[in-house]
Amino acid sequence: MRKPAATSLLVAAIALAATSLRDAPAAPIVVPPDPSTMDATALVSTACSKCHGPSGNGVSISPLFPTLAGQLSVYIETELKLFRQRGRSDPRARAFMWGIARGLSDQQIKGVALYFSQQPPVRGTPSSNPTLADKGKVLYENGAKERDIEACIVCHGANGEGVNTNPRVAGQHRDYFVREMVQFRSRLRENKVMQDVTQKLTDDEIAALDEYVSTK
Amino acid sequence: MTYATSGHATVNVVRLGALATFLLGGSALMLVSTPARAIPPFARQTGLACEACHTVPPELTPFGRRFKLNGYTLTTRSPLVSDTDDHKKNTVWLTDLPGIAVLAQIGYDHYDRAPPDSGQPYPAHAQSDTFQFADQFSLAYAGAISDHVGGWLQLTFNQEAGSVGIDNIDLRYTDHTFDNKWVWGLTANNYPTFQDVWNGFGSYTIPNFNTTTLWSSGVAGAALSGPIINALGPGNVAGLGAYVFYDDSLYFEFSEYHSAVAGTGTTPVVDSTNLSVNGGAVDRFAPYGRIAYERDWGYHSAEIGASAMYIYRIPSVGYISQQQKLAAAAAGETYTPAQTFYPGVSNRYTDLSVDWDYQYNGDHNIYGFLGHVTHERQQNNPQLVAATFTGASSPIYTNPTDTLTQFLATAEYFYDRHYGGLVSFTRTTGTSDPLAYGGNGSPANQYMVFELDYIPWMNFRFLLQYNAYQVVANNQNPFNLNHANFPNSPGFPNVKASDNNTWVLGLWMDF
Repeated sequence: MRKPAATSLLVAAIALAATSLRDAPAAPIVVPPDPSTMDATALVSTACSKCHGPSGNGVSISPLFPTLAGQLSVYIETELKLFRQRGRSDPRARAFMWGIARGLSDQQIKGVALYFSQQPPVRGTPSSNPTLADKGKVLYENGAKERDIEACIVCHGANGEGVNTNPRVAGQHRDYFVREMVQFRSRLRENKVMQDVTQKLTDDEIAALDEYVSTK
Repeated sequence: MTYATSGHATVNVVRLGALATFLLGGSALMLVSTPARAIPPFARQTGLACEACHTVPPELTPFGRRFKLNGYTLTTRSPLVSDTDDHKKNTVWLTDLPGIAVLAQIGYDHYDRAPPDSGQPYPAHAQSDTFQFADQFSLAYAGAISDHVGGWLQLTFNQEAGSVGIDNIDLRYTDHTFDNKWVWGLTANNYPTFQDVWNGFGSYTIPNFNTTTLWSSGVAGAALSGPIINALGPGNVAGLGAYVFYDDSLYFEFSEYHSAVAGTGTTPVVDSTNLSVNGGAVDRFAPYGRIAYERDWGYHSAEIGASAMYIYRIPSVGYISQQQKLAAAAAGETYTPAQTFYPGVSNRYTDLSVDWDYQYNGDHNIYGFLGHVTHERQQNNPQLVAATFTGASSPIYTNPTDTLTQFLATAEYFYDRHYGGLVSFTRTTGTSDPLAYGGNGSPANQYMVFELDYIPWMNFRFLLQYNAYQVVANNQNPFNLNHANFPNSPGFPNVKASDNNTWVLGLWMDF
């Protein structure tokens, strides 16, 4: 008699779980089996969200991965295409994005880029080191003409919101920001302009910029 | 001598059998199992490097845990063959690249003191050095099987067993809501805890290189004591479970296991004739429940969890098959009915665990603190307990109820996923049961593992390990057991726990 009772309990538990899932507020989707035919939201739910924010909001938890919420659509699109053609070879791009992007169509890339660009961006927080933030502000807004360093504001906007094809830097993880700057400087990450600019920046200046941008 | 006859010799046989069977955990059974690791099929399927899912294999990152909870189905490859019905549901889904992996473990052991010779009395001894080439060799299918179905199916050659057999199997059906608030799944597996995604307890406990010890190598014919949940690996049970992962943090699981004894000469029917396989069999049902809470922030991930398993288990001690009964009768020998075990003559185990898994997965630095405390309550079958025993021979337990507690804590550090190491401490204590454990009845043992790792590529791991034993109680010590095997020999002098200390040079690779 024990076996049927145990089986019934199990079936009941599964049925209960399934019922409560049906009542969950978020509508389940049928994920198409072929990743090349997934729409943007299915891709976000199935793949992107594992690193860039579990709920699909584009706000990543670990600084190993960038926050994408509010990022410029055109920038995400450009980077995804670079990943797909292996045109970006910094270590994280190789480890994660070469594979993820390898089968994406132009249409999927456009859709994912649009999705994340429409998510509410993360707001900055007041600096705990105003002196350092002020130093970063001067560098960000004015550059350093005597060393031929262009002001960041020209390409990334007054509030780090991004301009044209140049990415939003506000609301980004601080460690991520610093790591990318260092990787530009060491030419691990491709981008001629950023490689040239960062060659002239010291570690302290990168830290100052990070401190300032994090307030945006 | 696999069946009991009357007389003093019988007691020794039963007692040694009891040791071989009841001193579980860290046992040879565990070594049959090769845990799933960072394996190339997952990388080929997803296009992701190993570091996406692992800090250092087999330990999972938060991403790796979600990959597993989603049934290994994440793929960036289009299926070669697929078809859908009118409702856009798949009717067939076949990958273009079957997820085949080769896994190999090679180990070179050096025992600090040359172990006893199992066939000769002291001063004869075995070699101090052994080379397992390969200690384990597996073929596995791993990855997506359909859009919502994935699995891990493994076949392993084990040097100590000398045979190829079914190893870990985990088949899953999973789904999730768009926002991943709810991830849920069904798992059919043959190893309780194999389905778990944290590394503080269960089949993936760190440290995870399966060292060949004197116990597992069969020199002593016994094993270190430990909770029975550690010994229900492949070949003993199979079960079905359902789980829910809510809000990326809260995990609930309920699974139910039944006996699935597999091995040479077994039949689908589990009765007194095949209880000797794997040291016994689960009787009736064995429910397993699991709850865990994970919180991730920045580079940090912390988990605290608990599990419970309730097991009826028929021991194989004193087992007599029908054929042996007949043979004994034909030879005019007697046997003891009370020691012929069969379904119904089972002990009841309640294993309760608390586990933790903290992980810092930084850009260059990785470190973690993991472990568990498992408390086991073993209610022995009255037919086998001294106070209520009615058979013609000896009982095999002193107490109606025995308890056992195991504590394991590990600290690890890795730099750039190339260099690292760990220190692990395990201590097991329990009630004294002289009949079950021999000597003064203590099941206690305590040991530490020191490990240095070099990982040139993520799928190649070289390690140098030192296993240092501080406590090895009574007849668990192989050097004592050699004495027991040869009662007229002086035996090994000055037997200490540290006699068992072992150096291990190991290589793990998969491709």
